[in-house]
Amino acid sequence: MMENPWISGLVYSAVLVTVLMTAIAWISWFERKVAGRMQSRLGPTLVGPFGLFQPLADALKALQKEGIVPKDADPFLYRFAPPLTMALALGTAAVIPFTPHFLGSDLDIGVLYALALSGMMAFPIWIASWASNNKYALIGGMRMVAQGISYEIPMVLAALVPVVLSGSLSLGDIVEYQHVNGWFVLWPPGVGLGAFMLFFTTALAEGNRIPFDIPEAESELVAGPTTEYTAINWTIFAASEYGHSVITSALASTLFLGGWSGPWLPPLAWMVIKTSVLFVTITWIRWSLLRLRSDQLMALCWKYLVPFALMLLLVAGIWTHVRP
Amino acid sequence: MGYLTATVQSLYTTLRESLRTPSTIEYPKVKRVRAPRIRASFALTRDAQGDENCIGCKKCEKVCPSEVIAVTMAKKPSPVTTKARGYATDFTLNLQACIVCELCVQVCPTDAIIMVKDQEKPGYEREDLTLTMDRLYRNGESKERWAWSNATILGEHQKPPEAPKPPAPAVAAAPAAAPAPVPAPEKKEGA
Repeated sequence: MMENPWISGLVYSAVLVTVLMTAIAWISWFERKVAGRMQSRLGPTLVGPFGLFQPLADALKALQKEGIVPKDADPFLYRFAPPLTMALALGTAAVIPFTPHFLGSDLDIGVLYALALSGMMAFPIWIASWASNNKYALIGGMRMVAQGISYEIPMVLAALVPVVLSGSLSLGDIVEYQHVNGWFVLWPPGVGLGAFMLFFTTALAEGNRIPFDIPEAESELVAGPTTEYTAINWTIFAASEYGHSVITSALASTLFLGGWSGPWLPPLAWMVIKTSVLFVTITWIRWSLLRLRSDQLMALCWKYLVPFALMLLLVAGIWTHVRP
Repeated sequence: MGYLTATVQSLYTTLRESLRTPSTIEYPKVKRVRAPRIRASFALTRDAQGDENCIGCKKCEKVCPSEVIAVTMAKKPSPVTTKARGYATDFTLNLQACIVCELCVQVCPTDAIIMVKDQEKPGYEREDLTLTMDRLYRNGESKERWAWSNATILGEHQKPPEAPKPPAPAVAAAPAAAPAPVPAPEKKEGA
């Protein structure tokens, strides 16, 4: 029965979405705990042991609240945007090889697919900001589009480095290559590490995380594109932001940190460890750094990251020819 | 380069903070130890025979910077000595605007108003924050609740140091060199 691609696909996606959504719920708890500790607080403590049931309480609260649609908003697009964001955030997981076998679909163009979905994240947020009929939401949405499109370029260029080195666009092949020849973050020296740092930085910008969260900029724009959203609609937005961060961490560990490859432990454990380390780093950065100004953000992208990415790509291309 | 070092510094700061014990005290479970000399609320006291100390002189009412004290005074015979003396017939202290400066305690000539260690409970109505005369006397009932200070003790603390007596021969010898009176600036410094 599992040979039927429809059934196996459904089963796989059901399992994956369930696991990811559960993970996202407790990641929000984890982030609040980490934030608390970094600010010499405790974080959630009251709901359940160590506040572990806090995500359930939050979800219950969000479900009980009234989902307000503003009077002059576009009701269809307003309700359509949050699920679309969530779909795009989780859709990337289909091609990520969590283990050598447990893989949704080893597309030949897996890298392209993942980056395309990630780049499309700007659209539902733009839809949301437009449909809200709110000036702060609109400004946030425009910033999101500008930032998303700008940072897409160095991100794709950074992701091209492992593609050039391994000679394949399939994420499965890239991990296999790293399993045999060593992780890209270590080898070739400097190039892989630079590309990894670049990918990670631009992924932060793509996911609207601090220090690149000018679309949300709560000190200027209330809450950016999600200003008018309430209740479960808002929760879906927040969850998809977490989901996007997690998936990007998984993608970065697949492309540069060798994915499931690693000694002693089973492949899935390695994937979870690497993704978690990257996500903890994202959280750590979030609670440490300040938000960049709009012009600083664009200057960083176009003046530094894009030339750096092109240079890395050039070096990687030369390396593929001169290596023994 | 400055941006890079700043980034590393801030990352290091948050990492160092996250490894420390959180400074949060989970209040209902753990209660913080109060300082031994805490002064939180007010009370009126009675003397050893149970007579009210307050003579209704209104000094506290006049000195209060936020004007939250209201005293009405009447003369009547004391139940202990049967001599006529001043009493406060009504005494209210409104905690809503009180800045807890303790000036009323400092000026009291009979040590009648003092401070107590226990904080007043938050209330649901404005009246809950008004200390009536009954509440003030109830606050002062047990001496264990009294804070360390009253007007006499504070007056001792704030008394200017006694001016050193100018030695008689020195005044006679050099009046021209130091014409200004010597004790006055010293007194100022001491206060």
